[in-house]
Amino acid sequence: MACHLSDSVRLAASACLTPLGDTAATLAALLRGERALQARPVLGREGGDRVPLALLPGRELDETVPPAWADAVRALLAAVPPAPWGDARHPVFVTSSNFGVGSLYAYRRGGDAAHLAYGEPFGCVDWLRRELGWGDNVTIFSHACVSAHLGLMQAARLVRAGLAERALVFSFDFLSPFVAGGFHALKILNADFPAPYAARATGSIGLGDGAAFAVLTRDVGELAIAAQSLHNEMFHFTANRPDGAGFAACLAPLAAAARGCRLWVKGHGTGTLEAGRLEATTFARIFPQAPLVGWKGSLGHTLGSCGLVELALVAAALRAGRAPGTVGSAAPVMAENVALEPFATAGYDAVLCASNAFGGAHAAFLLDHA
Amino acid sequence: MLERFIQAIRTDNPGLEEPAATRERLKGGFAPGAVRRMTQLGLLVGAAASPTLFQTSIHPSSVQQVLIGRQRSVREFFPLAGGPYLAGQALLVALLATTPRVIVCGGEERGTWMAECGVASTRAFAFALALTAVPGAGALGRLTLSPIDRTGGLSLADWFDLLHFRRPFAGPAAPGWQLKLEWS
Repeated sequence: MACHLSDSVRLAASACLTPLGDTAATLAALLRGERALQARPVLGREGGDRVPLALLPGRELDETVPPAWADAVRALLAAVPPAPWGDARHPVFVTSSNFGVGSLYAYRRGGDAAHLAYGEPFGCVDWLRRELGWGDNVTIFSHACVSAHLGLMQAARLVRAGLAERALVFSFDFLSPFVAGGFHALKILNADFPAPYAARATGSIGLGDGAAFAVLTRDVGELAIAAQSLHNEMFHFTANRPDGAGFAACLAPLAAAARGCRLWVKGHGTGTLEAGRLEATTFARIFPQAPLVGWKGSLGHTLGSCGLVELALVAAALRAGRAPGTVGSAAPVMAENVALEPFATAGYDAVLCASNAFGGAHAAFLLDHA
Repeated sequence: MLERFIQAIRTDNPGLEEPAATRERLKGGFAPGAVRRMTQLGLLVGAAASPTLFQTSIHPSSVQQVLIGRQRSVREFFPLAGGPYLAGQALLVALLATTPRVIVCGGEERGTWMAECGVASTRAFAFALALTAVPGAGALGRLTLSPIDRTGGLSLADWFDLLHFRRPFAGPAAPGWQLKLEWS
């Protein structure tokens, strides 16, 4: 059976910024198996347990005024193709799970009211909008670790309907003592480094700074977002349904769209045991021939931005012809399809990119050559 | 032009009601023991009866408080945040959805220390609309969004007042989009 995927929404440009550098530097480091995560005090200058965090070079965990990540965002977005971003035909979608929440915490700890300008989602994004010279047409989505997928889906719908010439999706999540402390309180951010999809006794995650953008169009770009899917279990505040039904429900439309296609899978793979097992085994059952990789063992979990950061890396891997393996993991693994080592992408028609979030939220899309 | 029909609507306008009073007023709508862990907005969006017991809000925590309690999965869930264009942006998401039925739900809860700092609402309210692609026999109203060349906003609080008092509206609601709200 031949592989026939839609190419009605193209990826005109994409790039990311991680603690390993820009897109090319990050991909190269992942292909070498390098790990960005380092053991750092969970509460920044206030100390606490040492946990795996990956921060942009030279950035401290504690919040500053203005936020220390602002220059990095400006540098990343300098690569966005020029357009009247934020006008009626060039909408911008900004996604994040954190925005500037660390600034609210900094205000509560230190009382410096200057932090408040960055502390809530709209204020933080509107400050960025003005800094970047965008118009008013900026929509904000926040849905934990699938946030970026929502921006991609709404952008794709506007482009596909001819209601936007181009759409810019931008996502950013930078760590703070508030965010790191929150995951630490859940006990999934602990002293161990993450080993995504590894069958081991204790699960652990790492957290990472990350930002990325993607420009969607109808007719420019050699890669296409061929299909997208969402599913929200609403089963538990943090856990997934134990039978994995939520993973399968999200993947079903993509399995139908990709019938006859040879896939590889960029999974979510944070390093937690239960979600990792559900994810790996569901992929192995629905796409038994597709190798599964995850990169959060190196980059850490870039939270609401992971879908866009990892999209930029997938796109770069397709252009380079080589995909990184599951950095930081080791045998034994949770399913036979988990790929620990890099592999050539030439033998595949498309990539399935998936993210998951608290509350049993699932999101995925197919990326292929247009 | 994008178009949907309003099949059901509920609003709750507690004004300056304290969260404890909201909790006491609405506790009958939730399982025993659940109410003490819910925020004011979670209570407001969850307690008003809807045709589907399926109400969401733009704030994920309040949505999850309600839907997890009722074990109601949903295919697509788009939590938005925003400022002067939030209502129009939320409606654009709803009107571009590919499903035959969409719930648009939102609100604010009255802030405490954040409100004193000017970064949170001083007013609480909540709304939920059930929208369909076809009018059916009992449609309560009609919503359309049309592209325009100018900008203009409709705040969430102003949008709530339109719904609460069943007022019609025609004007810009988000950059590039004209909203028309008609009641049957």
